[in-house]
Amino acid sequence: MPSWRFSFRKRTLDPQYDSELRFHIEKLTDENIAAGMTREEARRRAVLEFGGAEQIKEELRDVQRIPVLETALKNFRWAWRFVRKSPSFSLVVILTLALGIGANSAVFSAIDAVLLRPLPYPEGDQLMRLEQFHRKVQAPLGRLAPARLQDWNRMNSTFQAITGYYTEDESETSGILPEKVTAAFVAPRFLQVWGVAPELGRDFTPEEQRWGGPSAVLISDRFWRNRFGADPSVLGRKVTLDTSNKFSCAIVGVMPPSFLFPDRDADLWIPTPLGGPYTENRDVTWYLTIGRLKRGVSLQQARADLATVQAQLANAYPKTDADLGVSIEPLKETTVGGVRSSLWLLFGSVSVLLLIACTNIVTLLLARAQQREHEISVRFSLGAPRAAVVLQLLTEAFVLALAGAVLGLIVAGAASKVFEFLAGNLPRVDEIRLDARIVLYTLICSVVATLLCGLFPAIRSTRGNLSNSLAKTGRGQVAGRYPLQWLLVGVQVMLAVTLLAGAGLFLKSFQALERVSPGFDSSQVLTFHVTGSYAETANPRTLAQRIDGTIDALRSEPGVEAVATSSGLPGLARNYEVELRFTDGESTPGHKILANNRFISDGYLAATKIPLLEGEDCRKGFGSQETGALVNRSFANAYLAGSAVLGRHLQAAMSNAFLGPGEIRGIVGDAREEAVNREPTPTVYWCGNGFDPDPYYMVRTRTDPMTMTETLRRKVHDIEPGRSVFDVKLLAARLDEAFGEERLRTLLLSFFAATALSLACVGLYGTLSYTVSVRRREVGLRLALGALREQIIKQFLFQGLRVTVLGCLAGWGLAVAFTRGLSGMLYGVSPTDVATLSAVILLVLVVAGIACLAPAVRAARVDPMQVLREE
Amino acid sequence: MPIEKSDLLQGTLDMLILKIVTLGPIHGYGISQRLRQISKEVLLVQQGSLYPALHRLEKRGWLAAEWGESENGRQAKFYKLSAKGKQQLKKEEWNWNRLAGAVASILQTAQ
Repeated sequence: MPSWRFSFRKRTLDPQYDSELRFHIEKLTDENIAAGMTREEARRRAVLEFGGAEQIKEELRDVQRIPVLETALKNFRWAWRFVRKSPSFSLVVILTLALGIGANSAVFSAIDAVLLRPLPYPEGDQLMRLEQFHRKVQAPLGRLAPARLQDWNRMNSTFQAITGYYTEDESETSGILPEKVTAAFVAPRFLQVWGVAPELGRDFTPEEQRWGGPSAVLISDRFWRNRFGADPSVLGRKVTLDTSNKFSCAIVGVMPPSFLFPDRDADLWIPTPLGGPYTENRDVTWYLTIGRLKRGVSLQQARADLATVQAQLANAYPKTDADLGVSIEPLKETTVGGVRSSLWLLFGSVSVLLLIACTNIVTLLLARAQQREHEISVRFSLGAPRAAVVLQLLTEAFVLALAGAVLGLIVAGAASKVFEFLAGNLPRVDEIRLDARIVLYTLICSVVATLLCGLFPAIRSTRGNLSNSLAKTGRGQVAGRYPLQWLLVGVQVMLAVTLLAGAGLFLKSFQALERVSPGFDSSQVLTFHVTGSYAETANPRTLAQRIDGTIDALRSEPGVEAVATSSGLPGLARNYEVELRFTDGESTPGHKILANNRFISDGYLAATKIPLLEGEDCRKGFGSQETGALVNRSFANAYLAGSAVLGRHLQAAMSNAFLGPGEIRGIVGDAREEAVNREPTPTVYWCGNGFDPDPYYMVRTRTDPMTMTETLRRKVHDIEPGRSVFDVKLLAARLDEAFGEERLRTLLLSFFAATALSLACVGLYGTLSYTVSVRRREVGLRLALGALREQIIKQFLFQGLRVTVLGCLAGWGLAVAFTRGLSGMLYGVSPTDVATLSAVILLVLVVAGIACLAPAVRAARVDPMQVLREE
Repeated sequence: MPIEKSDLLQGTLDMLILKIVTLGPIHGYGISQRLRQISKEVLLVQQGSLYPALHRLEKRGWLAAEWGESENGRQAKFYKLSAKGKQQLKKEEWNWNRLAGAVASILQTAQ
């Protein structure tokens, strides 16, 4: 007995076997004694006659064994034979499943990487993003003053540590040419919060984080490799930031390649020394804030704790802290944000696709089971229990599903590339990869697919009365109607219609987006950054002069039509909505003035082609008192309807260094500044270059802007040799990128829907072909009796189309229910858009008609004579 | 000449056991005796075939077994036919008769 045989209850029954066999031997002995032998002789002969008792016992044990492995191997062998015996059938099933399972695993790999996995830091679920907000006035105040950060960190009892950071794009000039680097300026406890240690070197010392202490910098793995050639003796060398005033710091460590915070571009981490002249001011807005929760502390506890802390600070500093609240969100949520719904939507559609694929295979297997009826009944009559036959049929389905899953893994392996290609701005897209979890998921998918596809046909085909089907011969059979197969085809059509409806709505929404006139002209505009430092904002006048100088130099270049700067690009600007007030007389009483605020230089209107309706363009200068402000038409209509607009003075309702006071000097046309798919809101354009050391430069050119890149770069280098130009892109390309998520879901959903439709049509075609082949005799007879071929075609065509129409109707209902959930993702089209649904149904009917035509025509081509001769 | 198990048609032994057990609860020794007597010493079933067959039939639910006292007072395992076994026997008998009839008619025709 081979030892690998898996067995249960090996020895427990042995005493019973012994006594049963002993009884037999004793009876034989009695018999021999009765025949006249002595007792010893009788016993000896009895044992001899009985034969090897041990061998018999082993065989009895065998009867009780359940040879799991052996049966499985045998089933697999048979299944493999079955797969090879009908290669085209198997290939269709395997490819269908490969597509269904592969697409499913691909989307799941994205969901797993983006939504399910914790952030790639030790115990990443403890990381929280903290923000302060003003409770009375609507104004974003997310960034925290250093003093308040220290207070929060000292007074709370729910966080291990709280830290902060801000980033700047700087020029690093220790090399031959200035190089743009992204530097993160970090508060104390930065690495402690992340739980990450430098790969080389050490964390900052307390001295390095104190005002007047030694300089220090941690560099990224990428910067280490690119700039220093991965030199292990890099510690102690200097990095020079030359953007404002020369500032050198010594490298104390290199971070591991996996540490990519705040983003992939981060090159340097530099401590912001606390205790200096600015750091006690509670009004400044410096840090984006991150904290690590203590183990076992819930989000609610942390929120309550920080609320208490801030209430204590409100008592201590009523002037600055009284109206502030604290919001805390898991860092993962703020990172992943809005893509959640898109990804789950894709996962839902891809699961529907898998369902269609499985339904399709069920119809194929059912048709096949009918052909195998005879084989199955023979096995029954040979004494195979039903469970064994079902298991055998399931093994066949599993072998097919497994082959499909292996192919599907190849599809899933390409997922990260596809996602990166379609939506490069998807958060955590670089974490999508094929690993053991995805392989396991794919295996589970194939098991589920096996059960979905195989169980029903297996149970159904092993039901029936056996002796009946044994007696039946294939030819004498009356053609069945196969209502079940047709039901399944109808279900496929229904699901396909639902997916198509979703895809259709997205396509229509995308088209609507392209047709939108945003109020500005994005063509022929090149945009880029020039490195700058927040330290420059200490002297806004110098800052404004510096940027104005660069703008003038660029304007002098032939081929340049207009040049401007702006803190955010049109169509991409973050909504910076703040409550404002008029300094000269009130507006409509009790009417809050809420407006989006933008910071622009002179020339912005020329660069964006936003029309000036009244008044004049911005003037050069550093602050709004000199340069004034522009408002858009919506603002004028909403807050100054019927009164003079030009000459009024605006400022923020709560004191704000950047927002006024300033005179309204012009009214401009409405533009979709926030996003192309958002209606314009009341907007104030504050003029001047003294706010932002690192604005976007916008250059409108007369010819192709990309060809001027080098010229413009050199021009900036000529007058600002210490600064670098970076992030050079067309405005149109940036706008395009902003819709990466929309494009991703539109393209993928369309692809899934098209696949679903083709699968449904394959199902329709297959089922109708099968019906035709089964009813061949009947058709032949009818033709022989004088039926017209057109009648035959019509009959089969209608049989297929009737199911399609019913499927479409059911799909319509399902689509109406399903697309309601899409309303937040659509632009310019209602989720229940009748035109889209009708177009989808028309498309399905046409394609289904084509799929039905071939089998119907084949039915009509039956040669009556040949059919009759076959009888 | 006696026919041994290896010469028996596969599955036939099972049918014969079922048939013999219809007469009432009986132990393994009794079955082997009856087979020999009824077949007039033609069928000699080795214990090495008999007991595995009995256990197989029991496992399939065609035979039910329980321990009881034999005629000489010793403990023995008695087998009897279950309802499922009755059906199976009917089916096998029908099949056998059909097969035997078919074989017989072929032999007659070929003469």
